[in-house]
Amino acid sequence: MKIFKLPDLGEGLQEAEIVKWHVKAGDDVAVDQPLVSVETAKAIVDIPAPYAGRIVKLYGTERDVAHVGAPLIAFEGGDDTDTGTVVGKVEVGQNVIADAPAGATPLAHGIKAMPAVRALARKLNIDLTMVTPTGADGLITANDVQRAARILAELGPQELLRGVRKVMAQSMTLAHAEVACATIMDDADIDAWPEGASVMLRLIRALVAACRAEPSLNAWYDSQAVGRRLLKNVDLGIAVDTPDGLLVPVLRNVERRAPEELKASLAKLIQDTRNRKVPSEDLRANTITLSNYGSIAGRYASPIVLPPTVAIVGAGRIGKEVVVVDDKPAVHRILPLSLTFDHRAVTGGEAGRFLAAMMTDLQRPD
Amino acid sequence: MAQITLVEAVNLALARAMADDPDVVVLGEDVGKDGGVFRATLGLLDKFGSGRVIDTPLAENLIAGMAIGMAAEGLRPVCEIQFSGFAYTTLDQMLNHAGRMRHRTQGRLSCPMVLRTPCGAGIHPPEHHSESPDAMFAHIPGIRVVYPSSPKRAYGLLLAAIRDPDPVVFLEPTRLYRLFKEDVIDNGEALALDACFTLREGTDVTLVTWGAMIHETLQVADELREQGIAAEVIDIATLKPLDFDTILASVARTGRCVVVTEAPRHCSIASEIAATLAEQGLLTLLAPVQRVTAPDVVVPLARLEQHYLPGKQQIIAAVKKTLEFA
Amino acid sequence: MTVAARFEIPYSQFLDPHGKAVAPLPAFAQDPAALILLYRAMVLMRTYDAKAIALQRTGQIGTYASILGKEAVEAGVGAAMQKDDVLLCTYRENGVQIMRGVTMRELLVYWGGDERGSDYSGPRRDFPVCITIASQCLHAVGVAYAIKLHQEPRAAVCMLGDGATSKGDFYESINAAGTWQLPVVFVVTNNQWAISVPRKTQSAAQTLAQKAIAAGFEGVQADGNDVVAVHHAMREALAKARSGGGPTLIEAVTYRLADHTTADDASRYRPPEELAEAWKREPVLRLRNYLSDAGAWNRALEEELLRQSDEQVQAAAQAYLDTPPPPVAQMFDHLYATLPAAYAAQRAALTSAAGKSA
Repeated sequence: MKIFKLPDLGEGLQEAEIVKWHVKAGDDVAVDQPLVSVETAKAIVDIPAPYAGRIVKLYGTERDVAHVGAPLIAFEGGDDTDTGTVVGKVEVGQNVIADAPAGATPLAHGIKAMPAVRALARKLNIDLTMVTPTGADGLITANDVQRAARILAELGPQELLRGVRKVMAQSMTLAHAEVACATIMDDADIDAWPEGASVMLRLIRALVAACRAEPSLNAWYDSQAVGRRLLKNVDLGIAVDTPDGLLVPVLRNVERRAPEELKASLAKLIQDTRNRKVPSEDLRANTITLSNYGSIAGRYASPIVLPPTVAIVGAGRIGKEVVVVDDKPAVHRILPLSLTFDHRAVTGGEAGRFLAAMMTDLQRPD
Repeated sequence: MAQITLVEAVNLALARAMADDPDVVVLGEDVGKDGGVFRATLGLLDKFGSGRVIDTPLAENLIAGMAIGMAAEGLRPVCEIQFSGFAYTTLDQMLNHAGRMRHRTQGRLSCPMVLRTPCGAGIHPPEHHSESPDAMFAHIPGIRVVYPSSPKRAYGLLLAAIRDPDPVVFLEPTRLYRLFKEDVIDNGEALALDACFTLREGTDVTLVTWGAMIHETLQVADELREQGIAAEVIDIATLKPLDFDTILASVARTGRCVVVTEAPRHCSIASEIAATLAEQGLLTLLAPVQRVTAPDVVVPLARLEQHYLPGKQQIIAAVKKTLEFA
Repeated sequence: MTVAARFEIPYSQFLDPHGKAVAPLPAFAQDPAALILLYRAMVLMRTYDAKAIALQRTGQIGTYASILGKEAVEAGVGAAMQKDDVLLCTYRENGVQIMRGVTMRELLVYWGGDERGSDYSGPRRDFPVCITIASQCLHAVGVAYAIKLHQEPRAAVCMLGDGATSKGDFYESINAAGTWQLPVVFVVTNNQWAISVPRKTQSAAQTLAQKAIAAGFEGVQADGNDVVAVHHAMREALAKARSGGGPTLIEAVTYRLADHTTADDASRYRPPEELAEAWKREPVLRLRNYLSDAGAWNRALEEELLRQSDEQVQAAAQAYLDTPPPPVAQMFDHLYATLPAAYAAQRAALTSAAGKSA
């Protein structure tokens, strides 16, 4: 049953006398249909039906006083909406929730040190990765930090790397982290070379020949996409040792340049590099690298491949050695060769064939 | 000057407060003729009469609730709840009304009342007489909670509580009521509320505690000193509002903290101190804060009590643990 | 066998539901002017009550507890109290509070959710509205004790409902009041309903007034819809209290004509027939009929009173709507006499955060 109470009559009026009922129990009424006339202190007023429905009961007869807020008429029908509380307002939402699994966060393996110890390390400018922990379960103690600080104090202040050295530190770190290095080494017998032959020119020519024989070592590898580009031109990076550090200027298109021109360009390039006059675009985008460390010292090496290139040739110190010729010992001039390659992009067979091709070319008299 | 026990110091402070201020009244069960079951109100009825020293019917809600009405009318009631186990029912009046009366009326009415009750374990009584309601009262907004640990501090802090314009729950360590004596001058001087007392100075570890556990903690500090460990001992005394500044400053010097309480672990005041140290003093900590507490069980009867209450060995072990870190 | 104790609970009624005098009126009621003052108070509080409900329905105040139907209890009590008496009441005594000098604006500020509404400008010692049931009885004992200790000719008036008489706090209070013979009057408004629990389920006691007998003092019943009966009983009880005669419990029998609160729907648990019947006994019409029959009231006076009441209520409502919301700092201010240093940071953080989001 829905109870319709006498609504506010306005102007502070609280009661009205029932003058005449216009409906009776059992009637079906429409919205706004007049239900009853009541007389207030001021006037006779008709009360309209607030909704359509069937009358169940009338409260009060004619001449009775009806009060604002008191039951007037009962209608058939459903209950009013239940607030579900006697104080305040409890919000009703329609969302249905479902339990979602909480994501698992990976355990962070880090350096173990109490906050005060970390603060101490910061204050003393100690890198906690450099500190050997002596506490239980690998905990770095304050003493450990103090010890590290003492040692470093004795060693004097650290030199912060700048410029070329800093770039080398950063690019070698990157290369080391990324590249899967492998190295093969061999010797080229250069005894047949004429007097005055240019080592660099011969090395460059041999390298070009090897690139033709095995193009996969003159390529760029993209580790993100897991893809490679085999390059037609050979832009050769030359490792140059300068007072500022290692620089690798680039000789472009060495595969189609005449030897005389190449020699002059190389000399100029090395000079300009040492004088720091090489423009930055000539320090980038080489397709393969050559390091002639042998001009200083060292026979074999495993130099670092710098991405995106996949190979670096190392030429060691030329010297006289005892070799076997026609089953008899002989003293010949030998050029030690090292080839380091990125095994993600180059197979051992490819590297071997590349090196063989270099050796074949180097071992020709001219 | 007299050498008196803690409960005698309470009695002395009550007599002093009632002599100085005619609005101070004392009410509770058996506080009049009997002088209180622990004799805390001994002699007050004779001195001040039955109008001001009131033996109430057996009804704790009444005791706390009428104190609120008295305080609104300008009296300064000091009500006694006979045992801590019976104090829980007064949480209704203290939380719902005493702590709120000033705020509810925006200062028009206030509630300068004191609710005293003996707390803590160690006297081998029947059930419900060994409670530590520290944290429950300390969680109530708008009140103070004070817990003395010596006769001198009981005297000075109770005077401060009675004179304070806001409600104070004054928890008295039953075990220390008569355990030792101290020189107390009846000079009517109050001690500071809202402040810690540093009882021992030290540089190696900060021991924070209150109530009866001060007794064991001081003994531990003395033993540690013989082993070359200098422990600082802080009696927080006012549980709410808590003087964190003193604790933080001490831990900034020592880097290590052990909080000792005989209350159960979960949501204890020791937890509040540990949390605040983590929030505001983390960079000074050389080791995690240790809490030495009772376990989260119902206070056992006498036979198991000594296994329930934290003892010196546990406090020492906690100190050693902090020293194992940096 | 002998009888260890007997008791009687007197019931008083002077005006029947039609407004006819059924007993000789007490002295104060002989002059219609005195009754007209009561009538004006009842009409004003009913007008205020309707406005408060309207404000709640339009979201301008929060949950509100109506006094519809108990205007005679309110007026009868309010008119009997002296200025320096102390009222300790529930959330359903706004009518008494208005008569005590609490402004309607203050009441609406309170219902609107602002503690400043309880900082009464008028009766500075009256207690604020008590929401927890029967706690105010304990406070009344304390107030009355202080009054007695100071030997003042004042009294505490504690108002509570029928449900409240089931609470421990009530029993503890009347017991103490009786044992100490305190100057307190307990007025139990028995409006037959404690939310949805009817009187007959609340207690097996034949009357609620007789609970005073168990506490050692006098309990009386009055027709709570007859303002003459209520006022008369209050005058006697207060005179007794002030002269050291101790406490009285007055059970005013009436009916809750509205829902428990604006969030409640009483049709869930009580039959509309009962409600319609109760309306026939209502207090305002009853008194108006008496005054009209006595030639002391007419339609013109009624219209004028309604107009005046409406004007006053509208002005109070507007004054409430014009009241700015409380500052965020209100949560901290007056928490203690002086905010402890420990909480200064919290206060600063919340007030600055509120300032940013303003």
